[in-house]
Amino acid sequence: MSSAPLPKWASKPCIMGIDEAGRGPVLGPMVYGCLYCSLSYQKTLTTLNFAEPIWVLPVKLLKFDVTKINLNEISHNSAIGLVKRVLDMGVLLTEVYVDTVGDAEKYRVKLSEKFPGVKFVVAKKADSLYPVVSGASIVAKVTRDRALRNWVLDETAENMQRNFGSGYPGDPETKAWLDRHKHMVFGFPTIVRFSWGTCKPYFKDFVEVVWESDKMDEDCPNNGRSKHQQKLSDLGFTGYKRKSEDIESSGKGRCKFFQARKLQLVSKF
Amino acid sequence: MEEGSSLAASCPGRSNGGGEGSTGIIDLRPPGSSPAVDLTDRVHLLPCSIKHDGPCPVSHYFKPKQTDVVVDDLCLKEACFRGRKLQGVTVSLPPGYRGYVLDKSSESGKRSEASEGGFNRWLSRAEFGNLTFWNHDSLPSPDDPLIRCFHWFSVSNALHKPVTQAELDSAMSVQGRND
Repeated sequence: MSSAPLPKWASKPCIMGIDEAGRGPVLGPMVYGCLYCSLSYQKTLTTLNFAEPIWVLPVKLLKFDVTKINLNEISHNSAIGLVKRVLDMGVLLTEVYVDTVGDAEKYRVKLSEKFPGVKFVVAKKADSLYPVVSGASIVAKVTRDRALRNWVLDETAENMQRNFGSGYPGDPETKAWLDRHKHMVFGFPTIVRFSWGTCKPYFKDFVEVVWESDKMDEDCPNNGRSKHQQKLSDLGFTGYKRKSEDIESSGKGRCKFFQARKLQLVSKF
Repeated sequence: MEEGSSLAASCPGRSNGGGEGSTGIIDLRPPGSSPAVDLTDRVHLLPCSIKHDGPCPVSHYFKPKQTDVVVDDLCLKEACFRGRKLQGVTVSLPPGYRGYVLDKSSESGKRSEASEGGFNRWLSRAEFGNLTFWNHDSLPSPDDPLIRCFHWFSVSNALHKPVTQAELDSAMSVQGRND
């Protein structure tokens, strides 16, 4: 897209909307869509006549490892990335409208500091307030639907199917798919977000897995995680019996050389 | 991990790490005349304990992917397990060493139950020349315990290599000079 020549109107003041799709679903990518057009086109946009002078540029986030990164942080960084890309293409952005789930004012300050020349309007439900965000929302949703439809599963086990449904927790097709694709050792295929509440009922069917890093995490419990995200360890993925000797050898009681290398003498088999 | 094709192992309780210890034999020859099962490139060390013991369709679910990143001359790999991203590298075992998957032979089972800490017999089921170890939070590095374990090989050699008469003589002469 960056190789295509910029339309003439892009060098006049432009507005842009940013919205996301796929925050709620238990599987699939989260997609950030944006839509920009010249300031003078704004009125025409309300008629939803999606004619030529609108450019769209979606960005995708494919995999989830939400044990470490806050979801709002992912969201902010994606929006920043989109604004940067559009500015780098040479579009004269003067106003950017952003939908948010979290604190709007903090988010607005963060964006304004990054891009001093751009006026940011951050609002909850911005997609229903500003046509340019509605457009971005459509871009994001269509891109996500297409990505899910063409998704190639990493897993190659037999009888792997792609009829995920919408990915929303309430969708019976999604539930049925989760049910058919669970595995006692591996859990779900990697398209699934394991830390989402929807997965919780299935954990009783999985064998227990105890992570070394969760043990360390307990010393510093809150590393910027939002309330809505759950630690995988809170979800019954790790055990109640948390004995370190279950997880790894420690070299306990031996000289430092062995301790540093976790080399333990095993005398009983 | 040991050199040679067959060895007897004994772990008496003289170290401060162990208990009473036990004695046994490890047979590293493949059963019959068949060649050994080679698990090279298929042994993974995960940063977690999976409470399951048995066969599993690992290659269908666990899909390591090469990245462009190089860590200490080793190509970084990425994989996912239970919704967590793992970063790993494949390390070769030092020359002269091989990895073995050992299985307690059934005949010794009853005998060792009869006398606690008694005689064990182990058979090699498979061999490997490298293994891939995975971290969850950090990039693999030479400071990781597994890589540092390899230091033990040279220390062990220095400790257990038979001392030659020439070495004894030269040590004596050095000592003599110091006196």
